[in-house]
Amino acid sequence: MSAPPAQRADAPQTPDKPQAPDKPPTWRRVAAIVVFAALAAVPWLGSDVLVQFGINALLLAVLAQAWNVIGGYAGYASFGNSVFYGLGAYGVGIAMVQWHLPFAVGLALGAAIAVVFALTLGWAVLRLRGHYFAIATLGVAQVMAAIVSNVELAGRNVGLVLPPLNDDRLFYWLALALLAAATLSVAWLTRSRFGFGLIAIRENEEGAAVMGVHTTLYKALAFAIAAFFSALAGGIHAYWITFLDPESAFDISLNVRMIIMAVFGGPGTVLGPIVGALSLSAISELLSSEVTNIAGLFFGVVVVAAVVLMPRGLADAVRGVRLHGWGYFARNVKAHRL
Amino acid sequence: MDLLAQVVANGVLLGGLYAVMALGLALVWGVLNIVNLAHGAFIMLGGYAAWHLYRLAGIDPFAGLPIVAIVMFAAGYAIQRGLLNLVVRAPMFNTLLITFGLEVVFTYCAQLAFSADFRTINPPYAGSNVALGPVTLPVARLAAFAVALALTVGMWLFLLHTRLGRAIRATAQNLVAARLYGVAPRHLYAVTFGLGVALAGMSGALYGTVSQVNPYIGATLTAKSFAISIIGGLDSPLGVIVGGLFLGIVESLTTLYVGPTYADVASFGILVLVLIVRPSGLLGRTA
Repeated sequence: MSAPPAQRADAPQTPDKPQAPDKPPTWRRVAAIVVFAALAAVPWLGSDVLVQFGINALLLAVLAQAWNVIGGYAGYASFGNSVFYGLGAYGVGIAMVQWHLPFAVGLALGAAIAVVFALTLGWAVLRLRGHYFAIATLGVAQVMAAIVSNVELAGRNVGLVLPPLNDDRLFYWLALALLAAATLSVAWLTRSRFGFGLIAIRENEEGAAVMGVHTTLYKALAFAIAAFFSALAGGIHAYWITFLDPESAFDISLNVRMIIMAVFGGPGTVLGPIVGALSLSAISELLSSEVTNIAGLFFGVVVVAAVVLMPRGLADAVRGVRLHGWGYFARNVKAHRL
Repeated sequence: MDLLAQVVANGVLLGGLYAVMALGLALVWGVLNIVNLAHGAFIMLGGYAAWHLYRLAGIDPFAGLPIVAIVMFAAGYAIQRGLLNLVVRAPMFNTLLITFGLEVVFTYCAQLAFSADFRTINPPYAGSNVALGPVTLPVARLAAFAVALALTVGMWLFLLHTRLGRAIRATAQNLVAARLYGVAPRHLYAVTFGLGVALAGMSGALYGTVSQVNPYIGATLTAKSFAISIIGGLDSPLGVIVGGLFLGIVESLTTLYVGPTYADVASFGILVLVLIVRPSGLLGRTA
């Protein structure tokens, strides 16, 4: 599938610099903590606009990272992750508006619904491969908005208005903590038996089954993990925006965006989806403030160019340019030519 | 009973149009193994092309079909030859993404060039109807249905009986073997994609005469084309006709008896069910 070669996915085991086989994990850990601390300090140092941009960008990074588990590692191109996001948002909305429960209960409710839904749906559609899986999940995503807009409890197509909470800093830290949790889970994945199982499924599913990987269980669990984090992101976003309706909660273009961010950064890597999400968010934010009209156009052009020039993502491109110079891009263009 | 007959008739007319919409997508998917997410955007562009031909040059949308087809074919050929041939052997995900990127570009360009207003092609006969027993049929829809059927059957005959059609089918079956028999794949892929885009453009022109065109109709039409291709299978254009009619009738019946908001639920619900039960399509051969 969109697979980077297997040896790249478990970066700690095969470091880039052969002369220092044991160093990378240590400095990486230190660098990760420094970056995390810097991001956590943003609400004290940056402007309100920056914090609001940060909340959006961090939640998108969570979505890209969650997609990475099922799409990047297991190699199943899900177009249904926006459903989990919407279920998480509606979990919070219904719990807070209809039942007057606290936010945390709503988050838990949304995540639980999403995980149950992922396991049920996964049982049915994870048997499909390639395009068929992608389209089946796309079909589910298409119908969710229509179904929810007919549910009385979810406010039909009018939507729900949540009680406001004007504390952007809190939402920023919630989003950052969620991203950290998602990223640590993926980092754990790359070292665990479970993660190797997923990579084996991506590379060759029959082979994985023959080697004793319980493919059905592994795929369903990967789907459920993606659902869990996507739903939490949806719940946080709903409470932050204080409004949700079926159209925006089950927006398929959100799903496409998380895929693009993950693939742009590098699917099947720990940090790729974060880098992709943050850099693409920053680019489109800058563009939409400078030149409103062509921001979307630029986004499309970036996607087209990225697929041709760096089909394995930003992370691989940086490494490739360091190793081979600018010829890296020319080699990519030639690699899959007819 | 009359109402039911009328609804089914509407569904059939709609379904014929759906069939020719899906035909281009199914052709490109079946032969090139590219799921063209920009397909709906090409339909949209075809609709605008026909609208401009009618408004600026006074060319009837049906008479303008060949012009739309030629322009769209050239565009499709160039896109495949210059861009998509570069990534056609890459993992399926990359081709999905690149066509999605194209969809975004086309939608934005259309929005800048044509504004976001809804456009309808209104030839003089747009309001007239013919009565057929208890059923009333709008002339424009009937004509669009006839043209759509003719295009689909024509495509089927082309694939079955012409040298180029045989080359396309051979390539779909086995690229290496086709190459050994003298098929030039770069050219042939571009021709196939061009045909798919031309079909999309013509269906867009027909769509513009029976419905409304704006820059954002593409995504939904792509999704419907998917659904039809899946229901009908990718093997033959005749499967696409069955899939299109099926979807059109189901949508019309759901709109009447369940409610308009459930029309999409019905069509995509059926899509998911078909995928789970019979992934190669209702009429497709089992893989």
